[in-house]
Amino acid sequence: MRKIIIAAFLVLVFFTNGFTEEMQEALTVEDIVRKANHASLYQGADGKGKVTMVITDKQGRTRERAFNMLRKDVGEKDGDQQYFVYFQSPADVRKMVFMVHKHAALEKDDDRWLYMPSLDLVKRIAASDKRTSFVGSDFLYEDISGRNITEDTHELIRTTDEYYVIKNIPKVPDSVEFEYYVAYIDKKTFIPMKIEYFKKDKRCCRIIESKKVENIEAEENGKKVIYPTVIRSSAKDMENGTKSEMTFSNVRYNIGLDDKIFTERYLRRPPRNAMR
Amino acid sequence: MKTFKNKLADISVSHYKLVTFVMVLFTLITGAFFPLVTMDTDPENMLEKDEPARVFHNKTKKAFDLSEIVVLGIINEHDPDGVFNPKTLRHIYELTEFAKTLRWRDEKNPGQTAGVIEVDMIAPSLVDHMTQGGPGVIRFEWLMPRPPETRKEALAIRDKALSNPLLRGQMVSEDGKALCVYLPLTDKMLSYQVYTSLRKKIGELGGDEEYHITGLPVAEGAIGVEMFTQMGTASPLAMALIFGLLMLFFRKGVIIILPMIIATVSIISSMGLMIALGFPVHILSSMLPIFLMSIAMVDSVHVLSEFFDVYTKEKGRKETIKEVMNTLFAPMLYTSLTTAAGFLSLTLAPIPPARIFGAFLSIGVMIAWLVTILFVPAYIMMIPEQKLENFGLSAHEEKKQNWLTRVLGAMGRLSYNYAKPLLGVFLILAAVAVWGITQIQINDNYAKRFIKSHPIRKADIALNKHFGGTYTAYLILEGKLPGKAKKQDIQKIGKDLTHYAREVMNEYENAPGLAEALVQKLPDFARENDTLEDFLNSVIEHIEKISADTSDETYYAWQELQNFFGIEKEKLRTFKQPEILAYMAGFQAYMENAGLIGKSTSVADVVRKVNQELTDGRPENFRIPEKLQGVAECYMQFQQSHRPNDLWHLVTPDYMRTSIQMQFTTGDSMNTKAAVRAADAYFRDHEPPAELSYRWAGLHYINLVLEDKLVWGFLNSFLGSFLIVFVMMSVLFRSALWGMLCMVPLTITLVAIYGITGIIGKDYDLPIAVLSALSIGMAVDFAIHFLERSRVAYQEQGSWKAVVPKMFGEPARAISRNVLVIAIGFLPLLVAPLIPYKTTGIMLFVILSASGLITLLVLPAILTVAKKWFFRKVEKPDIKTVASPNFESKSVGCN
Repeated sequence: MRKIIIAAFLVLVFFTNGFTEEMQEALTVEDIVRKANHASLYQGADGKGKVTMVITDKQGRTRERAFNMLRKDVGEKDGDQQYFVYFQSPADVRKMVFMVHKHAALEKDDDRWLYMPSLDLVKRIAASDKRTSFVGSDFLYEDISGRNITEDTHELIRTTDEYYVIKNIPKVPDSVEFEYYVAYIDKKTFIPMKIEYFKKDKRCCRIIESKKVENIEAEENGKKVIYPTVIRSSAKDMENGTKSEMTFSNVRYNIGLDDKIFTERYLRRPPRNAMR
Repeated sequence: MKTFKNKLADISVSHYKLVTFVMVLFTLITGAFFPLVTMDTDPENMLEKDEPARVFHNKTKKAFDLSEIVVLGIINEHDPDGVFNPKTLRHIYELTEFAKTLRWRDEKNPGQTAGVIEVDMIAPSLVDHMTQGGPGVIRFEWLMPRPPETRKEALAIRDKALSNPLLRGQMVSEDGKALCVYLPLTDKMLSYQVYTSLRKKIGELGGDEEYHITGLPVAEGAIGVEMFTQMGTASPLAMALIFGLLMLFFRKGVIIILPMIIATVSIISSMGLMIALGFPVHILSSMLPIFLMSIAMVDSVHVLSEFFDVYTKEKGRKETIKEVMNTLFAPMLYTSLTTAAGFLSLTLAPIPPARIFGAFLSIGVMIAWLVTILFVPAYIMMIPEQKLENFGLSAHEEKKQNWLTRVLGAMGRLSYNYAKPLLGVFLILAAVAVWGITQIQINDNYAKRFIKSHPIRKADIALNKHFGGTYTAYLILEGKLPGKAKKQDIQKIGKDLTHYAREVMNEYENAPGLAEALVQKLPDFARENDTLEDFLNSVIEHIEKISADTSDETYYAWQELQNFFGIEKEKLRTFKQPEILAYMAGFQAYMENAGLIGKSTSVADVVRKVNQELTDGRPENFRIPEKLQGVAECYMQFQQSHRPNDLWHLVTPDYMRTSIQMQFTTGDSMNTKAAVRAADAYFRDHEPPAELSYRWAGLHYINLVLEDKLVWGFLNSFLGSFLIVFVMMSVLFRSALWGMLCMVPLTITLVAIYGITGIIGKDYDLPIAVLSALSIGMAVDFAIHFLERSRVAYQEQGSWKAVVPKMFGEPARAISRNVLVIAIGFLPLLVAPLIPYKTTGIMLFVILSASGLITLLVLPAILTVAKKWFFRKVEKPDIKTVASPNFESKSVGCN
């Protein structure tokens, strides 16, 4: 009996192994992209973290920023999301807030707000596109909130031991400044480890890299889970010769952020406990 | 000397084949370096590499990441909406898209490309527009994401562009008729490729727009092209012209070929040497060939003339040439030395290209002299004896009466009979000229180097008509970080902190308590730190540490206090301070109102514009926010665009240095000078709200620095040249009096020429400055000849009255010819399309012919009036032997 159990176990192990391998083989490019989208943006129902950012220009001169970031998903599926960015430093922009209500539907523009403490003024931002600089760094708004996966066509151009290499071509070419981008997606975590943007003459103009990934423990439905999370990433602009590096600390998931935090009212006075 | 010169002639005569071979070999070797030629058209190189203004200019370029920019101007005068019609905007869009692709493989960095820097391009489709999107909504978008379809859309783009003070007068002209696309380059050497590609694309577009491509790199490239044109056309033309003149004088091809050979040898070898030694060809040194052309020939023509006079069949060519060389050795040496010395004086000038030009000109002159000494006898030896038979004839023709003879004769009578009135007239003229000199206007204008019909000059005129000016200089302001925190600083900070803690007490009730404890510690922190900034940093760090494990309430209170110190730190950043920005805005308005600049751009404009749109878009909110935080928010918002790095062209990331871009509507350096003075006055009369230093940069300013060098630098070399030549003359004549007399004609000439320059209002610029020093060595030669021949003749005749008619015979003819050959030899410079060449050509022609004429009028008049002074000494026998027999030439010819 025992032998049978062991044998059955072995068979099972073998079978499942084979099965998972097969499953992975069977992943379509759309699956990979969807998983990558989830891994990089949608882990947990919400999350927060402290971010320090160092922007280095071509002459090596640096500028620093620090802000807290909150995120909350709307609904179960990887769809709408809300972001809240609260500035800590430089001191002269402390308490400045950006808030984004991201809409997954292509036809609906994101809602964006800006709160300026010195003028005590809330402004809605209507932007023609999401490819503007995020706080003067080499990251763009779209890098932070994620590019909608339906905006590109995807092509798996290579599979290496570590990565799925996917070429993404925008469906509306004149909506962006690049021609296409190539993402290197980790086979295990599905985190995009490197994204290279190319211009017309196949000239690489921008590189975003995940420099450090850490497993962050969290609770999901009362169970412990592990979310592999990028805690250091960099964006390099080859045309300007500038580079920005973001480092996350105090990352926490599923903390039960209140919906009302992400409303205009809270821009002026964000909840303290969410900010420490 | 005699033995030396005899030896030289012997060598030349007996080893004429060897001499010829060596000369050809030398020419070939130096000429072999020609393919290595490089051009230097960078106006910066007019200054020394370590010239403070230049060093600062380059530091500025680096600090603000400024590239060399090609400007593509589009003008539409036909459409009532100017360039803002769908068709023209489509063309502009297409050209912009095309310009983005202008990249080539980088020769210097394999694997990289070089060319137009897309991210720094300025074009309607590449810049942002910030505007009100309804109440409480601010809108960010591309100014022209795609070309408009309708007139209405096109006009909307115009209104948007004109609403942006950063684009108005820079990318878009205020009248909407013109638009400039700015194309920064990774390397200015690519400007020609960019230029030709754009031209081709524009040709394909069609349409009735007017296109101009300009900008400094394009202008530099064009100057390079014109330099080649000049060397390729003007020099050969000069050669042809001189050949023609010599044919007219001597009518013997076999004779005239010799000077041509000597000119060619000295031009090729001196240019070759210059290239071999690694000096690039500059606008000045590109005139080496045409300068050497006539100067190198005169000695040999002189020898040939003498040879024909002396030659007899019985004596034979060998003996004759030895005799001739013996006679002419000293005069040729002296005239060559004075000419070379005059040129060499340019090495005293503080302008490197002028020094190189002067040095290699004098080398060229001495090469010409050496070749004349060594090769002319060899050449004579190579002419078959029978060909020399009828040579006397050409000399005899001289005696025929012609217009030249008659005119010269009349001049001789005039200068003798009316010596005093003549001198009086010249004195009055000189006095007027001296007054004229005081009227001289020192001014240089880089764009005016091109003739009016040149595309660059046309672009310059057309674009400056529509824009706030295409000439840019930068006023760099720099703040200063305070040193060690002073006692009163700490006291003030402590007081402010206490006050601040009380202000936030409602929200953070333990803030005052924490602040009070902290205030006690501040002096300790101050003592440990060398600067105020370090002091603030260590307080901030301290708070970070002690607050880490405190309760939430305490933590938040600490955070507030920490932020207080953070703000104090930011206040040290000069160009975040609202008062400073307001001060800058005031300064800009002052400069614009004074009419000295067309437009200026600074962070004060950026902050005001962003503040306006962030508040409500109303014009009255185009102002500097009251608080530092307000300024910081504007800076942050400006960076949240498609082009965050635009800010760093105006301020450094530490906010301690800022650049006010000044656009001038004219390239005149005198206008820049007025602006610089006005700025000085403003900073003197209006004390800045914080410690501030200012300094100018930008090529347009460099041009002004150059102007200063032009005046004092060339005055130095002029005086140097004058002195050297005077000393040489005094040595030659063994008399300072005669030396002085020798300097009279060229002094009068130069005074007259520069007086006229002042009176007619021609700007005193680089070529004119260079010429003053340059012409002395050449112009003095006529006087040397006249005086020497007069002294010799006086000894023969014994009376000045008898000498005059003799002097105005054959010697005057020889001098006149000399004058004509040299002066006319410079006229081909007029065909060159660059103004400095034309100026040089005209000026040298005038200077040389005037000094020739004045030599023939004034010198005899002075000798007539003061003959007792001058000839008393000549009669002394010891002087007689010194001055000659070397000069005892009855020869004709030149020099």
